[in-house]
This record gives sequence, structure tokens and C-alpha cells, in this order.
Amino acid sequence: MQDRNLAESMAAPGGGPHRRPVRLQARGITKTYGGRPVLSGVDLVVHAGEAVAVVGANGAGKSTFLKICAGLVSPDSGEVVVNGRLGYCPQEIGLFGFLMPDEHFTLFGAGRGLTRQQARRRGRRIAAQLDWDARVRTQVRHLSGGTQQKLNLTLAMLGDVDVLLLDEPYQGFDRGSYIDFWHHLGQWRDAGKAVVVITHMLDSLERVDRVLELSATERSGR
Amino acid sequence: MTRLLLVAEMTGRDLWRRRAVLGLLAVMPLAFYLARRDSTGLAVRFLSLGLAWAISTAALFSGNAAKAVERRLRLGGYRASELYLGRLSAVAAIGTVLALAYFALVVADQDLTRNGTILLSLLLTVAVAAPLGTLISAVTPRDLEGTLVLMTTIGLQFLIDPAQSHARLLPFWSNRELATYAVDMTDDGYLRRGVTHAVCYALALAVATAAVTLIRLRQRRHVQVVVAPGSR
Repeated sequence: MQDRNLAESMAAPGGGPHRRPVRLQARGITKTYGGRPVLSGVDLVVHAGEAVAVVGANGAGKSTFLKICAGLVSPDSGEVVVNGRLGYCPQEIGLFGFLMPDEHFTLFGAGRGLTRQQARRRGRRIAAQLDWDARVRTQVRHLSGGTQQKLNLTLAMLGDVDVLLLDEPYQGFDRGSYIDFWHHLGQWRDAGKAVVVITHMLDSLERVDRVLELSATERSGR
Repeated sequence: MTRLLLVAEMTGRDLWRRRAVLGLLAVMPLAFYLARRDSTGLAVRFLSLGLAWAISTAALFSGNAAKAVERRLRLGGYRASELYLGRLSAVAAIGTVLALAYFALVVADQDLTRNGTILLSLLLTVAVAAPLGTLISAVTPRDLEGTLVLMTTIGLQFLIDPAQSHARLLPFWSNRELATYAVDMTDDGYLRRGVTHAVCYALALAVATAAVTLIRLRQRRHVQVVVAPGSR
């Protein structure tokens, strides 16, 4: 078996982010599924105002790593320290199909201590940044896949989060929204958020400060 | 408390908008009741079992629909207890409305003197069915598996002779005791046994479901949050 390597291939520009507080620190993350190692000793440190892309082949453990960082999955070993509020946008859309966008904002916002009005206002504002008018009174199941994903991403950002974990959050976006997403990601980073984004789009790597590459594992029989 | 009520409200809205499903679930007890309307005791008992099946199913599907979202809500500052109790409250509230509607039907359609026991029986049925469906949702991975478990449970309730001692292991055994007390004017022992069984079962199911939910939505030990969500 071959260990996965932490590849921090690009230094943060000007070394700026390293003077800022560490927002996310993952140390020695190891995970095995059914006897097959998926992650082996993965480390990652992300500072405030820094964006890191996680790349790797299918099955390399990118989503698993992010879920471990979010605390949704337990690793076999290793630990994660989160300094601040964490927002997580999963790859699969986890929404109530029969609720409307505003109702999602209300529900998710309450967890962050927002009133109904605050949550609706903030949700609509974030959605507008993603070029989506969330004032529609439409049940989520009737929204297009790309719009549902925008809602998914909006909910991850409600409540002024410090750390954003994004698992291919642009799935279903049209080309304009996709380009806008990377533009906004830069803005979120410049606003001091620590952003970790899983991506397969190598052309977008210039938009981030560093890249964590999870390499493919040799498997028995291959 | 506010967040618990908000979860209940949103669960209620989510369920209420599933009109076709709700309609079918609401008709189920009526179908069971009408099937044995000629025999008051069986009609009342089957009505309760139909209600039990309907509410358990609603709780099962509501629980499964919420699984993926609840993990995010937990991450976003909710307590596991708020999510669990909020959802359970919504299902129980819908069940109570159904129970009251069917109680009115029984009162109008049957000539009974112990009507209060009928109402009690229906409400206790809801109190058992809501956590039962929630528990099945919590321990089964998907709708299909949960539905099969629920069908087996309710099916056994119909098939096993309630006079047999092991029938008491089934969740809705109390229906028979309470229906017998209400319809056949038997002694208070039936009422006492029925209420005790239903209350114990409801509490046990609620505690078991809470435990499973708390484990599923637990804060993982490998994550240390320096600034806890909701602290600002």
C-alpha cells in the first residue's frame, strides 16, 4: 500500500495568510473502508484568508476527507481542530424537497442564532451573489439541479462562517455561474474566510493558494 | 425551545405539503374501520391499528427525508435533541388531529358509552406509533428496509392472537385491551393493562429513538471546535 501524500504545491502569495490565525488543522487523518485504506496520514493547515483546493482521482478520498474535517465521519486516527464557525456544503444535495428556499434559510439560520428575518435577508443576499433570486415561493423539489446546488451552497454560508468546506459545490451550475463561483470564492477568501474546496477542474487551481493532492492508492488485485 | 418548535414547524410544513401521501395515510384507518364496521369491537381495534400504521409510516418517511439535512443542521448549531423532539412533535401533532377526527367518527357511528376510552386509545396509539416510526427510520438505512420492518410489525399485530402472552411484546397490544374495555364493558383491569402497556411502550420507544439519534448525530471526538457554533 502506498501512503497518500500531502502536496502543498503552491505557497500562499506573499506569505500573508500565514500571519493570520489557523482556522483548520487536520493532522494524521487515516481512514479505511472495508480493509481498503482511503486516507493515510493526511495533514492540512488552512489559515484565515486562504483557499485550498483538494484534488485527486475518483475514489481518492476527497469527500471522505472533507466529511472528516466537518465531523460527519470519524477517522481511524488523526484529529481536526476548527477555530471558528464551520460551514459545509456537501456534494449531494441535502435539502427538504417540500420546503421553500426562505424556509430553509429560516431553519438553518436559527441554528446560527439568526432570527427569521435576519436569516431570510442574509440567505437572499448570499443567493443574489450567486446570481439567484431566492425570493421565489417555489418548493425546492421544483428548482433546477443547479439552483438547488446554489441553495445548498448558500446554506453552508449562512451565519458568517469562518471556515468553508465545499465539496464540488458548483455541480449543475451553468457556465456563467461556474465562473462567478470562482470569482466569489476569491472574495470570500479576501474577506478572511478559510476555504477548502474539492474540485476536478484543474483550470481553476490558479484561483486557490494551495493544492492538497490526494494520490490514488494501490489496491490489491490491481 | 424556539429551535425545537421551528424544527416541528418545518417538519409539519414538509409533511403537510405531501398532500397525496397524507390523504392516503388518512384514509388507511378509515378503510380498516369500514372493513369491520359490522363488529364494533373489531372496527374500533382495526381503526386504531390503521391509525398506528399511518402515523408510523409518516414518522418513518419524515425521518428518512430528514436524515441528510439533520447532519448539516447539527453541524450548524442545533442540538440533536432539538432535531429529534421537533420532528417527533410534528408527527405526533398530525397524528393527534387524525385521532380526534376518527374519534368523532366513532362517536357518530357507534353506540358506545365509554367514549373517553376510545379517545384515550387513539391518542395512546399515536403516542406509540410516532416514536415507533421514528425509531425504525433511525435504525434502517432507507425507506424500503424501514417499510418492510414496519409492515412486518403491524402485520404481526393483526395475525397474532392478542390473548397469547407473547402478544404483549407487540407495540399495539394495548389497543385490544382498551377496545375490549370500551366496547364490552369489562372490568378496570383491561383499562389499567392497556394504559400501562401503551405508556411503557411509548416511553421505551422514545428513549430508544433518542439514544439512537444522539449517537447518529453525536459530535465526533476527533474534532475540536475552538469557537463553538452559536457562541457569537
